[in-house]
Amino acid sequence: MEETIWDLRTDKTIAAIKEGKRLDGRKFDEYREVKIVNDISENADGSARVLLGKTDVIAGIKMVPGDPYPDSPDEGTISVGAELLPLASPSFESGPPREEATELARVVDRGIRESKAIDFKKLCIREGELVWIVFIDVYTMNHDGNLFDACSIAALSSLLKTKIPKLEADRVVAHEYAGKLALARKPLLSTFAKMANNVVLDPILSEEKAMEARFSCATTEDDCLCAFQKGGGGSFTESEIDNCIDVAFKKAKDIRKLL
Amino acid sequence: MKKKDKVDYVKNGKRLDGRKVDELRPIKIEAGVLQRADGSAYLEWGQNKVLVAVYGPREALPKHIQNPYRALVNYNYRMATFSVPDRKSPKPGRREIEISKVSGEALERAIFLERFPNTTIDVFVEILDSNAGTRVAALSAASVALADAGIPMRDLVSAVGVGKAGGEVILDLNKAEEDAPDAVDMPIAMLPRTKEIVLLQMDGLFTKKEWQKSMKLAEKGCEQVYEAQREALRKKFLEAEKEDKKSKKAGDQ
Amino acid sequence: MEKETRRKKIVVPGELVTEERKRIGSHVFVDEGKVYADSLGISYPDSSTASVVPLHGKYIPGRNDLIVGIISNETFNSYIVDINSIYHSFISKDSVRHELKRGSIISAIIQNVDEINEADLEDIRVFFGGEVIEVSPVKVPRIIGKNGSMLNVLKDNTGCNLIVGRNGWVWAKDGNLGLLVKAIRLIERESHLSDLTNKVEAFLKDEKGETKK
Repeated sequence: MEETIWDLRTDKTIAAIKEGKRLDGRKFDEYREVKIVNDISENADGSARVLLGKTDVIAGIKMVPGDPYPDSPDEGTISVGAELLPLASPSFESGPPREEATELARVVDRGIRESKAIDFKKLCIREGELVWIVFIDVYTMNHDGNLFDACSIAALSSLLKTKIPKLEADRVVAHEYAGKLALARKPLLSTFAKMANNVVLDPILSEEKAMEARFSCATTEDDCLCAFQKGGGGSFTESEIDNCIDVAFKKAKDIRKLL
Repeated sequence: MKKKDKVDYVKNGKRLDGRKVDELRPIKIEAGVLQRADGSAYLEWGQNKVLVAVYGPREALPKHIQNPYRALVNYNYRMATFSVPDRKSPKPGRREIEISKVSGEALERAIFLERFPNTTIDVFVEILDSNAGTRVAALSAASVALADAGIPMRDLVSAVGVGKAGGEVILDLNKAEEDAPDAVDMPIAMLPRTKEIVLLQMDGLFTKKEWQKSMKLAEKGCEQVYEAQREALRKKFLEAEKEDKKSKKAGDQ
Repeated sequence: MEKETRRKKIVVPGELVTEERKRIGSHVFVDEGKVYADSLGISYPDSSTASVVPLHGKYIPGRNDLIVGIISNETFNSYIVDINSIYHSFISKDSVRHELKRGSIISAIIQNVDEINEADLEDIRVFFGGEVIEVSPVKVPRIIGKNGSMLNVLKDNTGCNLIVGRNGWVWAKDGNLGLLVKAIRLIERESHLSDLTNKVEAFLKDEKGETKK
């Protein structure tokens, strides 16, 4: 098991945090370097690979015509899937980390959905019959912490590049497109880890192993909050959350410039 | 409940169901309702009806999931197939899996887990009827069931929903309010004594000001939930005490 | 006995027990100098010790407790014993002369309890036959009575061989087992009555008289 070595790193991580430092030398409210490569898959309608430090994720979009929900006949929808690929971490192969992947997918989903970045009404092809379903699937390639933000950046980045497929007799024509997917907002998640009474942005894996609690906050460029998620067995105070929100607004702006 | 025309979610200080903006739906909690469980609780919160059973601490199995330093909390939130307007598939969906994860984590902070290494505390939640806010109802009931099981805790966990409908920040949204076009839903759970936040989720579009306003309502709401929880436990004790009275020390050999 | 005179307070987990400096007893914890309950139970504000008597909970082994256990499994050199607590106990196969199997009943004294409440057992006795009656661990003192008075009443009037384990398991054999169970349930149910020992004795005599008729 890899557990033993992580125990040692946990001690080191905590000791550093108590001295106001992080093991990789970053400030508490600093992101790792973000690299975005768009259009990594020609068959995808939109795609992006995102490196957040050593954390490496890929998002791909497929737009598929489908049935609308009965209670919203004139609206399309989105569907986010997340796969914690065994190639990303030795711990991903031992037993299915089902709930981690589920939480990840749902938090990324909420950030996009609740920001109303995508107008679901514009995804309607024929009311009550046919609508676009935007499948956003994120895959982890290398897990060095903070999959939430990496997947959120990858999802947004690929949505910004997404082309709407051309339809003929209600079927998609391969590699032909009829326009671009419109995005009204650019929602991004910012994730924080709390340990030893300190809160740090964008935790690396050793910090995630050491953390007591995690908080993610999705923000938009027009200063709206659109999703929260607290995880982990510890707790946050109201003022800590307040601070996280301020940092999230500021730091997500920097990342938006890279898109 | 899609409404195109503008609905007044708050009119003259009253909501659609007649409540004030900071008013909870009626809450009723009963502790110790299931015979086989180590602890249990039944809760009604408006239309929501929840049964919770707690088993443990007991040996965590299979052995490789055991933690030699503390107990695990295994929280299972499930909705009965008939608890929603359309029949729900009995298979746990992604929503239930996520709620189970964050709710179990919320309880971890409250329980003295380090006293029971290698064990698991299993919490089973069954939603019998629902009308928005079931996860906070379930979590509030679960902490009563844990106390009923005699599991040592730092505090109860009190949870409540807050959010926004029709531009108004309100406490304890019902389904009609949750379906507002601009609805924001923020489930939150706190330890009542220290005000530590142990569960926090939100979706919808919120400004920071609205968030802060919601927090004020949430704190007030949690206090009321705590009183209902405390009352349920005290009542349970008084019932048991009636039987136990006078003989407290008589049995010492 | 000072019972009715003592002030009592029902507390829930996390509720303040005292702000005074007191000796720290069981089922409480200290946070920033104040003492809080960790369980649902009662505290006695006038007591010199800050502690909570919990309403219920699992049996937590205590040193020198007499317990009744049931063999649940075996390894090649030991038996695994269910003692109705959080953890199982183990006894070496060398420590018993008989070959035991799943379901065998023993009694033992808790010799030692480690920091996570795992118990070492000694003075193992093996029982052949008989039944195990389950009672709530918090009611066990009532079934024993002051100086074992209740226990004697039960033994004398039912003719049962009886071992009352602190862990809430009562081993009983021979005699009128049905009557014994009735009497135990009476004790559990009506443990609030004063003079309970005499009442149980009267009940047993009465029942016996009726069955003889």
